[in-house]
Amino acid sequence: MWRLNKVRHKAGRQGDSLEELRLKRREHEKALRQARRDRQLVSKRLLLTEDEEQSEVTMDTTSGEQDVVSLFHKLQHSGPEREAHLKALSKALRDPSAQLTFIKQENSMHLLVGLLTGSDAQCRLQAVQCLHKLSHSPHTNVAPACLPATPYLLTYLSGQSTKFTELCLYTLGNLCPDSDAVKEKLLAQGIIPALASCIENQRYNLAVVEAVGFTLSQLLQAKDAAEKIIPMVLASSLPSSLLSVLTPDPKFGLAPAIECAWCLHYLACSEYSRELLAHGALLQCSSLLLSLGGAVAEGNREEGLELLVCPLLRCVGNLLSICPVDSLSSQVGDVRLVVSLCALLQTYIHTQPALARETAWVLNNLTAHSSAVCSALLTLSLVPGLIQLLPFSQGINTMVLRVLANIAHKKKEFCVQLARLGLLSTLCATLKMADQEMVTLSLEVLFVLLVSRPQVADEFVRQGGVSLLEAIQYNSEGEMRQRAAYLLEHHLLSYPSDCTVKTFIRIVLFVKFVPIQNSGVTNLICFVAG
Amino acid sequence: MYCGFSEEYMKSSGNTEEQEPRHGELPFSFTPQCVHLHRDHELFEDGDIHRHMYLQDLYTSEVDDKPTLSVSEFACHISGCSAVFSALEEYEHHYNSLHRHVCCSCRRSLPSARLLDIHIQEWHDSLFTILAQRQDMYQCLVEGCGQKFRTSKHRKDHLIRIHKYPPDFRFDKTKKDKGIRETKRLQQKDTNMEVVDDVCESEGVCEVMCGVLSDQPEQGESMETHVSEEEAACMAKPAATEEHAGLSAAVHGNECSSTETLKPRYSYRVPSTVCFGHGSIRGFRGRRGRRK
Repeated sequence: MWRLNKVRHKAGRQGDSLEELRLKRREHEKALRQARRDRQLVSKRLLLTEDEEQSEVTMDTTSGEQDVVSLFHKLQHSGPEREAHLKALSKALRDPSAQLTFIKQENSMHLLVGLLTGSDAQCRLQAVQCLHKLSHSPHTNVAPACLPATPYLLTYLSGQSTKFTELCLYTLGNLCPDSDAVKEKLLAQGIIPALASCIENQRYNLAVVEAVGFTLSQLLQAKDAAEKIIPMVLASSLPSSLLSVLTPDPKFGLAPAIECAWCLHYLACSEYSRELLAHGALLQCSSLLLSLGGAVAEGNREEGLELLVCPLLRCVGNLLSICPVDSLSSQVGDVRLVVSLCALLQTYIHTQPALARETAWVLNNLTAHSSAVCSALLTLSLVPGLIQLLPFSQGINTMVLRVLANIAHKKKEFCVQLARLGLLSTLCATLKMADQEMVTLSLEVLFVLLVSRPQVADEFVRQGGVSLLEAIQYNSEGEMRQRAAYLLEHHLLSYPSDCTVKTFIRIVLFVKFVPIQNSGVTNLICFVAG
Repeated sequence: MYCGFSEEYMKSSGNTEEQEPRHGELPFSFTPQCVHLHRDHELFEDGDIHRHMYLQDLYTSEVDDKPTLSVSEFACHISGCSAVFSALEEYEHHYNSLHRHVCCSCRRSLPSARLLDIHIQEWHDSLFTILAQRQDMYQCLVEGCGQKFRTSKHRKDHLIRIHKYPPDFRFDKTKKDKGIRETKRLQQKDTNMEVVDDVCESEGVCEVMCGVLSDQPEQGESMETHVSEEEAACMAKPAATEEHAGLSAAVHGNECSSTETLKPRYSYRVPSTVCFGHGSIRGFRGRRGRRK
């Protein structure tokens, strides 16, 4: 299992300064982003024993390779030293080129599988350690070489030894993404039913639960997961098992819940997500978010909390989008979820703006079709906080403005309240923003506010809104011009501007009709113009 | 009528499928709706990266040095002006300085309503020209002075002698002066909205020119012809950009009617002949960035 407070830098060695470490992290992050864009984002996990963690991988490559070859030869003879040799092999196999060397040795896998399934329990454990290191290889041709071991790994999932089961699981999880052939084989060998019964039987063994979650998430991230994997998973007992372990255990930590939540996210994104609704996923995830948000609001800054909050937000967001409107209240449960969401928004806005944006997205989906939720936002005094978020860009203000627009579209009374809470004056600022989507959306909201009560229009004019809209009439974007013009003509028509008279005169002078000849008219014009 | 319409509009909408036909002629199209995000959506990128960094043991709870939150910028709305600002006050100042008092006929921006009035009167009003032959029509530019003069030269002398104005006061150009600058302007490509050096120097910061109308005739043409050319040139642009409702309709309405009631007037100093073609108001040279 993973302890979050450990900051282990894969590439880091002793002697790297903090700045160098930061640089490496940033480079790594960049590589991950590119991998995601290429739809190739894949990670593996390496489970190390405590003494393995302590020791550094100090040997150089060539000696490692030589070790592997000699160890392999030694292992072909049975004897009491076998366990020691296996342990040494496991250590040697941490090195990627040693991994390649090993699989190139004839019958090396056959030997390993034999030890994996042999009568010596300690050898079994060491053998699976070796396989685990191999599964972690960055070379894609190592995974297919491990295929002979997989049926046994799957069989052992129903065993009772925690460490052993964990290693089997992480090994399988690492092998999944490497090739389609491996995936096909694993599916055919029944990996999904095996995972389902494993998590069900070991539900109180949180280390195993975490491992199952990880392995399942690897399967679910496959490019073609929607075709076969997701339907099979949804048909099994896995969804209810995942939901039942979502609430984090205070002693064990967040890790198992994190893995299961990410599995649920991948399921909720798919086209079959309605089945998740049937399992009560929306209710479960909403209530968990409610309590997590409450904890955050009270100052809980547990490390890694956002790793759990993120997939939960996504589940709720996507499940809301497919939830029938009439069952919304029963599926969401406590409407005070909005309090938690707003707390999360305020917490993450500066530290993790992307997560804040996802939170705002969930709020949009919550408010879109529910008057009750919109009303709650108003009565629980959450709107001023939302209005204050409107300066922030990168999609945050557009999403928050959508939420406010959703509220305004429900009832005229809501519009009046929104206006009273300062939305009108904020719109006077957002209408001047560079972001076209913000301006257009602001005009939409303004429209709804203006038609709600005449007093709103009065207030808007008092705040100088008319000249603002006039300026928009000269914008190059037709979308904005049309809306601004409409508002001016239909809702602000009765408001005299300060220079009507002079402009009138100018119109009289410039408009092309009968040239002014009548002296009476001339005198009138002279009088006014002078 | 729109009031009744908006009652329906306000009804708490059920499924997104049952849309009331409310967008008949309204240019507003927003409806509350849920957004479904697929797995690879870009909105999910940061969260996914964070997740995988954690899987690869690179998680750290420390907030990285770079501040990732940014604040929206403000941008000038006037078509062709690409000025962008980080603060609202900057925007307001820009707008009030450059766009508030603009003469539509020649696109000059004047610093105050009064100076704009005087400009329009003296430059674009044929009636003024006629009257000026017989009376003192040129007002003193200093507010409150009230004196009037037979020619602009007389006024200029007055300004220099009595009010101690500089001889090259930027807002007292005569029409003849403008001719030279206009030929210069004609030679430039105007699409890029960069302010030219000589504009800044000769006219000062508040008087900027538009290239589109540089061939506009000043004297000897009746107002009718002048306006119609202008109208043709300028209306061509908005019409081309698929705009039927709103603006051009309103303008045409204003233009062609002698019998119709005039459409609402606005406090903005541009008269009803709206003519913001592609190369209209310019901003400062040296502004950061463009509109998105």
